[in-house]
Amino acid sequence: MSVTDLVPPTATQDRTAAGGPPVRRCGPLSLLGASVLPVAGSLAVDTWRVGAVALAVQLLLLPLAVRGWRALLPRLVPVTIAAVSVGWSTWLLGGEADPVAAAVASVLRIAVLVLPGVVLLAWLDPSETGDHLAQRLHLPARAVVAATAALEQLSALAQAWDELSRARRARGLGPGRGPVSRVRWAASTAFGLLVEALRRAARMSVAMDARGFADAAGRSWALPARWALADTVLLVVGALLAAVPLVATALLG
Amino acid sequence: MAAVRVRGLTVAPAGSRPVLRDLDLDVPAGERVLLVGPSGSGKSTLLRALAGLLDAEHDDDGAVTGEVLVGGRPAGPGAAGLLLQDPLDAVVAATAGRDTAFGPENAVLDRPEIWERVARAQAAASFRPGRERDTATLSGGELQRLGLAGALALRPGLLLLDEPTSMLDAPTALAVRDAVLAAAGDSTLVVVDHDVAAWAHVVDRVLVLGADGAVVDDGPPAAVLARAATSTSELWIPGAPVPDPLDVPSELVTPALRLPGGDVALHGRGLRVVRRRRGLRPGPATTVLDGVDAELRTGAVTALTGTSGAGKSTLVAVLAGLLRPTAGDVLAAPGLAARGRREPWRWSSAELATRVGWIPQHPEHGVVRPSVREEVRATGRALGLGAAGDRRADDLLDLLGLAHRADVDPHLLSGGEQRRLGVASALAAGPSLVLADEPSVGQDRATWAVVAGVLRSAARAGAAVAVATHDARLVAACADAEVALAGGRLLPAAGAPAAGPAVGTPADDTPARLAAVRP
Repeated sequence: MSVTDLVPPTATQDRTAAGGPPVRRCGPLSLLGASVLPVAGSLAVDTWRVGAVALAVQLLLLPLAVRGWRALLPRLVPVTIAAVSVGWSTWLLGGEADPVAAAVASVLRIAVLVLPGVVLLAWLDPSETGDHLAQRLHLPARAVVAATAALEQLSALAQAWDELSRARRARGLGPGRGPVSRVRWAASTAFGLLVEALRRAARMSVAMDARGFADAAGRSWALPARWALADTVLLVVGALLAAVPLVATALLG
Repeated sequence: MAAVRVRGLTVAPAGSRPVLRDLDLDVPAGERVLLVGPSGSGKSTLLRALAGLLDAEHDDDGAVTGEVLVGGRPAGPGAAGLLLQDPLDAVVAATAGRDTAFGPENAVLDRPEIWERVARAQAAASFRPGRERDTATLSGGELQRLGLAGALALRPGLLLLDEPTSMLDAPTALAVRDAVLAAAGDSTLVVVDHDVAAWAHVVDRVLVLGADGAVVDDGPPAAVLARAATSTSELWIPGAPVPDPLDVPSELVTPALRLPGGDVALHGRGLRVVRRRRGLRPGPATTVLDGVDAELRTGAVTALTGTSGAGKSTLVAVLAGLLRPTAGDVLAAPGLAARGRREPWRWSSAELATRVGWIPQHPEHGVVRPSVREEVRATGRALGLGAAGDRRADDLLDLLGLAHRADVDPHLLSGGEQRRLGVASALAAGPSLVLADEPSVGQDRATWAVVAGVLRSAARAGAAVAVATHDARLVAACADAEVALAGGRLLPAAGAPAAGPAVGTPADDTPARLAAVRP
């Protein structure tokens, strides 16, 4: 077995090999960058026309970036609720000359602000993000490992909830049939989940210390953090997306 | 290689008797030591002290005094390779490869060397699911081997293993033991394991801790075992008879809802479970059970056996009404129906707790109350059983040897004690169906006899009992029927029942003999 066979592919290399939209070739830093850049652009969305143009451009690019439409829909739910509630309160309380136009503009601003992040962050792999933060941005190793572990724990929360509700159900501490009882049960399980999360964190830090994390002066990284052409392209596209509302404002002014 | 020197080590958790008392120990470099003692005697605590982890957990462990030197220096985290008792606690990364690589990364090794160590460590620990495998989908036995690989990857001068094979079937346990010995090379090795027979002839020395946390015997294996054999020892001495399961007073284990003896209390047909990683980024689906039939009769103990990862725990969860099967039917006897419903997964929590007692594989994750006494009483309280329920719970606690720990936080119990607490809690409300997942792990002979006795007596008192286990002694002593699984499917029924496995030598049993059941 040669040395190159021993080092496994990174998450990005796995995605690239698996096929899918072009964004799969991008690493975590460009994904984060392209998610954040349009936030600056969204501040320039002042009219519904500008917002519509900016959103239309984003929607046109969507097929290049969406990882599974079915997984996208649940992610859009909170965004939709936020956008609609902001739009509604603008319409109701804004006191603008044209309340409907102002409301639509505010809805579009939220959409332009959030959509790139919602779509792109689906591609982010927690441990690969850690590799890049440490090796490319040279953030402190301990902070990076802690943050990566926290992200992983977050994705383990669904499983922890299952375990906890299973244990409580088996012991007769599950919810009754009424809605009030269900809400109270969910609240107490959520508290239990919080306590359990703290315990898990404590256990994990012991396990990490047992593997030499406690007094590691430096740290090496099992996988490389490469910057590819696709990353540069994505950042440029992100910057262009951020510029769209500014250009549209100048043109449609 | 690292020598160990311990002087006057005392560990006294706040508000409890000392776990270790004024302990002195010298282990020359390269020596292999088996550490044994009754459940709760402080074995795990001593390993943690040697691993330099007690300071990190100072809040939980209260006062720690004395001196622990490893290789001439105070024990610090990372100097020794440690395999924790519950392997789920040892997972530090999302994939198996990154998990094993975590130690070498901290040692600032070059990338090719990291992965070479990962490959060697996982091969040495017989970990086969592959380095891309999501750690959240591993079974208990697979986690145990991954934890071992993580410890081996550090190539430590001192290797500390806390029950490294307790959740493995006998052939795998033997293979892992040999792998440990080969991988340990000339490292100093301290192993905690209740399976004395498996280790006695491959270690240089046996150290026996007493129930009060002091050293009661120490010396070459042959001499220590000879001395132990003359006393009525709680240790699993090779050649000593397997203790008879205790006859438990029937009022402690009688089901609240009784069915006629010999009836099928619960049966599953064509059970299939497909698991998918939930959350915002769902993973690929894996089939963990496929086309499994199972039948639990009142008055009988049914053993669920199979290698680690065979789907035993999933089957237990389905039978216990905690998991809805993706396909297939699981139906209780009409006499157990609740509101006309016979599928356990459709019962409400109170209906379920009245009928089912579940002993989880990871007892620490089943804890629902902040003290041992409240924990064991919790189900009875939830069901409104009143003073009688409390009394039965307290009596079970006493039976399982935990009465003196009643005011302690369940998370501070030893691994074996937590498991017995799980047994007491599951039986406290008088279930008609008892579903136990690895109930005998971490038990000494005395506590084993109680755990086995509770399960067998519950069946004799009219419950239907199922036990997922790797423990051939438990199968031989208690099981009336067996469901053998492999890769999520039923194994064809084994041939004519052979004699029970040779006493005290579970490591010698082949899978076929493991399938032997009591006539």
